[in-house]
Amino acid sequence: MSIDVIGTPAGARPAGAGAWRLIAARLAPERFRLAWLALALLVSTALPLMGPQLTARFVNLALARGPLRTMALLAVAYLATQVLAQAATVVSSYLASGCAWRTTNRLREEVAGHALRLDMTFHGRHTPGEMIERVDGDLLGLATMISSFVINAVGGAMVLLGTIVLVWLVDVRIGLALTLLVAVGAGTLILSQRRAAGFADASREASARLFGSIEEWLQASEDIRANGAGRHVVRRLHERVADAFRADRRWEVWGGLVISQTELTFALGTVVMLVLGVLLLRQGTITVGTLVLLFLYAQMVQSPIEQMVNQAKELQKAGEAAGRVARLLRERSSIRDPSEALALPATGPLSLRFCDVTFAYGADPPVIRRVSLDLDAGRTLGLVGRTGSGKTTLARLALRLYDPQLGAVQLGGVDARSARLDDICRRTRLVTQEVQLFAASVRENITLFDPAVDDSRVRGALEEVGLGEWLRRMPEGLDTPLKGGGVGLSAGEEQLIALARVFVADPGLIVLDEPSSRLDPLSEARLQEATQRLLRGRTAIVIAHRLSTLAAVDEVGVLEGGILVEHGPRSELIADDGSRFARMLQGAPA
Amino acid sequence: MRLLPRLAAYRGRRYLALGCLWAAGQLLLFATGLILQQVFNDATAGHPAYSTSLSLLAVLAPARIVLAAIYWGAMVYWPAWFDAVGGWIRANLLASILVAPGPPSERMPATTGEAVSRFRDDVEDLGRYPDIAVGVVGSLLFAVASVAVMFRIDALMTAAVALPLVGVLIATHVLSSLIRAYHRRMREQGAAVTGFIGEMFAGVLVLKTAGAVDRALGRFRERNARRATAAVRAQLATDLMSTLGGVSPGLTTGLILLLAASGMRERTFTVGDLALFTTYAANLSSLPWLLGRLMFQRREASVAVERLGRLMPDRNPEAVLAEGPVYLGGDPPPAPPAARTPELRLRTLEVRGLTAIHPSSDAGVRDLDLRLGRGELLVVTGPIGAGKTTLLRALVGLVPRQGGSIRWNGRSLTDPGEVLVPPQVAYVGQAPALTSAALEENIRLGWESPQASLRSALEAAQLSEDVGRMPAGLETVVGSRGSRLSGGQVQRAAIARALVREPDLLILDDVSSALDGPTEERLWEALAGTGVAILAASHRRATLRRADRIILLERGRAVASGKLDELVERSPSFRRLWDTP
Repeated sequence: MSIDVIGTPAGARPAGAGAWRLIAARLAPERFRLAWLALALLVSTALPLMGPQLTARFVNLALARGPLRTMALLAVAYLATQVLAQAATVVSSYLASGCAWRTTNRLREEVAGHALRLDMTFHGRHTPGEMIERVDGDLLGLATMISSFVINAVGGAMVLLGTIVLVWLVDVRIGLALTLLVAVGAGTLILSQRRAAGFADASREASARLFGSIEEWLQASEDIRANGAGRHVVRRLHERVADAFRADRRWEVWGGLVISQTELTFALGTVVMLVLGVLLLRQGTITVGTLVLLFLYAQMVQSPIEQMVNQAKELQKAGEAAGRVARLLRERSSIRDPSEALALPATGPLSLRFCDVTFAYGADPPVIRRVSLDLDAGRTLGLVGRTGSGKTTLARLALRLYDPQLGAVQLGGVDARSARLDDICRRTRLVTQEVQLFAASVRENITLFDPAVDDSRVRGALEEVGLGEWLRRMPEGLDTPLKGGGVGLSAGEEQLIALARVFVADPGLIVLDEPSSRLDPLSEARLQEATQRLLRGRTAIVIAHRLSTLAAVDEVGVLEGGILVEHGPRSELIADDGSRFARMLQGAPA
Repeated sequence: MRLLPRLAAYRGRRYLALGCLWAAGQLLLFATGLILQQVFNDATAGHPAYSTSLSLLAVLAPARIVLAAIYWGAMVYWPAWFDAVGGWIRANLLASILVAPGPPSERMPATTGEAVSRFRDDVEDLGRYPDIAVGVVGSLLFAVASVAVMFRIDALMTAAVALPLVGVLIATHVLSSLIRAYHRRMREQGAAVTGFIGEMFAGVLVLKTAGAVDRALGRFRERNARRATAAVRAQLATDLMSTLGGVSPGLTTGLILLLAASGMRERTFTVGDLALFTTYAANLSSLPWLLGRLMFQRREASVAVERLGRLMPDRNPEAVLAEGPVYLGGDPPPAPPAARTPELRLRTLEVRGLTAIHPSSDAGVRDLDLRLGRGELLVVTGPIGAGKTTLLRALVGLVPRQGGSIRWNGRSLTDPGEVLVPPQVAYVGQAPALTSAALEENIRLGWESPQASLRSALEAAQLSEDVGRMPAGLETVVGSRGSRLSGGQVQRAAIARALVREPDLLILDDVSSALDGPTEERLWEALAGTGVAILAASHRRATLRRADRIILLERGRAVASGKLDELVERSPSFRRLWDTP
């Protein structure tokens, strides 16, 4: 039942191919805009090519003392082509970035939805930080790639091709020379850039390590200071700075070479073109105007080549990013809807039954071993046991966040694997120690973005958990934003918000996972009251590592190393001096 | 503060060398224009000037090779100056937060993320200012020389080259604030998107179990669309601005052609002059951009140094640029070990009238007295928000106090952060932080002591068994912020980190909250065995039972103190706390 991680090797596909497949399928809605884009691009690349032609005719006319009017017209035409070409460039960039953003946004929403629906085994292995990188970072790279690829690589290629064709038309030999120049320039650029790429990565990594360390030191600043370790850490900083310096210098040696080598190639290329031009001029084959034209064209090929080579690098990076995104899209959840579903009881508390359940995370040793347990509808069960004894896992099996390898979990008499996932979600709720609030309104934080829940129910739920007074203090009532510039909440209030979510949902089975372990006694008392009200008339599993939290449960189960070693009504276990629970109560300060 | 000279003077010889390289490159570029002018003039003149033209081209080739070599040299040499400046300033900042006297709490920004961006971006901004200045000086040199040459050829056309540059300079200056606003908007929208992704995945359990995945995605779609709009606008604004700069060489060439028409017919303006003007115009076109960049960077740098000043003691921006070493060779000298002074061995710690209030809220402690002798256990208890943590943090000098005296062996201390630190005192905070280094580095943090004392610290902190189970033992890399350890292990590692320093007084803030009962019991047993004095904040019964004396805090004031049974008997507030667990 183990699942492949995102890091599975991509196989030996050429870089970028993955990116294009991923994007091409999602570009379809942009067809018409792409057509306009092509037109704008054509205008923006074709017009500048006319510049040298106009200049050449201008020079020839001047030397022949031609009509001043025609010369002035040529100059004005030159100006017009420049202005128009620039305008077309802006338009094409605007169209390209629009297409890129809309396309990657569609992909981003698809990836986020897909990943959210993957099972908890997946989410246990990937942190939210990593998912931000997959869903946003990688796709951000793709967006830049799409827009700049169109402008720089496609546009650059058109300029380059046009220039070469036009020079070939002037003279075959010089055309050949320019083609060679472009080939040599591009070739050396690609070669040394490939050499430099590794150093660029190393330099970025060294810098990331430097700032990663700084972040950690700042995070731990009080610990470091109070342990008298400040000077030691400043020394570590100097070491990291030196590492980054060495990496930077190595990168500059190669990166600098790339830049100056390109400059050199094209500067020497211009010299060669001029030498050839002057030789042809001496033969009388070309005019002075044509010599000027050759000079101008020689200068026009440098920047498109640089742009295209830079794009090759970007393309490779985008290909890697797209590969990661594609692998994520290939992940499959092990928790799926059955082909033929049975319905859970639509209302009222749900009974819960574990039949000889064994469960392990991936290939690890089982954390739940042959647990059988019956919990009648409307009863509450307290689960106790040391950290790592399997309490949390057992409770999550009840919500079908995982499927057992052996045995079965039944909700309301239905095997959880035969019920629709939506159905289980509708009838069950989980409250965890970590309460995730969203940067959204109070209402949305309670209803979890469900507009169908009316305000009176939200207010009612807040009243029930004892946040009624708190709500009346909120400046904008239910519309008050929480977090991110909104209202901050204490840990206790966050827990109460989590309970209010459950009140609104009115489920038949509730799992409360250690909801009070981080609270002070008074907040905890407040939470206890709300919890008692919530559990009335519902089936529930309560996990708490303070035994006092379990004062109101009907039954108690004791887990040890994944085995249910004891289970019975709370009162009976307390009465039996030999029971583990009774011994725990005596051992612990209750 | 005159920032440019201050920044340029740090490793000033390297900066000067970079400047010279850059200027030499610009002069060669200037010479290239003159050569090209002659090449085209000779080519126009016809026989026998063709051969002069060809030999000039033969000179041009090596000149370009030298130019490429100069550029390359400047780029390779650049980190020796730029990284030195960055390392120097960052070391000053880090030393302020980790070493400089006085409570660091007022110096730290609100969030670590913000602090990191100060360390990264603000320091980068400071370095970029002199960096761009070097480029500007070289380009101005080129501009003066080339304008002089062009002016001698034709004054009107020189104006045609120069005036659009001035126009572009003004336009970019006006537009740049607009563009910055667009980019800020884009960044804000981007942060909203990544923030929401983080929330969705951190809350995946609640979204899944509540069947709210689709609804959350709907919200996500709205934020995405807003960001896309902002991004496309920002892109458009940037393009418009760079187009304005980009038009200028093409535009200038057009103007030159227009103005040169009659002169070229009359042979007062040669083809060589045309080549020279267009070449120089192309080189000059980046000047307005560069000048705009310099002005922008100057503003950024002065804002950055002010902001960085807030990280320094007394919020002094001067201290950011205080002279300090940098070790790019990679061998910084080891930190001096903390010496154990016999007269500083703990006899008594006495606190009178201590008041420490949070600047933002009214929470904290007021007018608090306490006294602690060798080997004693003093427990401070009370509900959350009573001021326990503030009290401990004020004692070790992490937050400022507004009043009261702290006496160590009878001597009054102005900055407790100088004495209430190892080897006298060690402190374990409520949520201890580790770094991604190896476990041993995390525990020692540069503290030199024999391996045996490390072992006994691990033993006492109840971490030995855990270390034994780790395949790499003490070399185990604990992951970022200790993420590969459990919460309890992180807490016990922090206790070991304090114990290895063999302090006379251990200050513990609610350390047992992540420990289970039996482990907590063994920990207190072991601590009692070391004979160290302990000042602990806790509301756990196991801790309270062992206390020699308890102080009950409520809303920042001590409302009762004494032994456990006395308090249970005398104080109703304490009984409430004791009974609620």
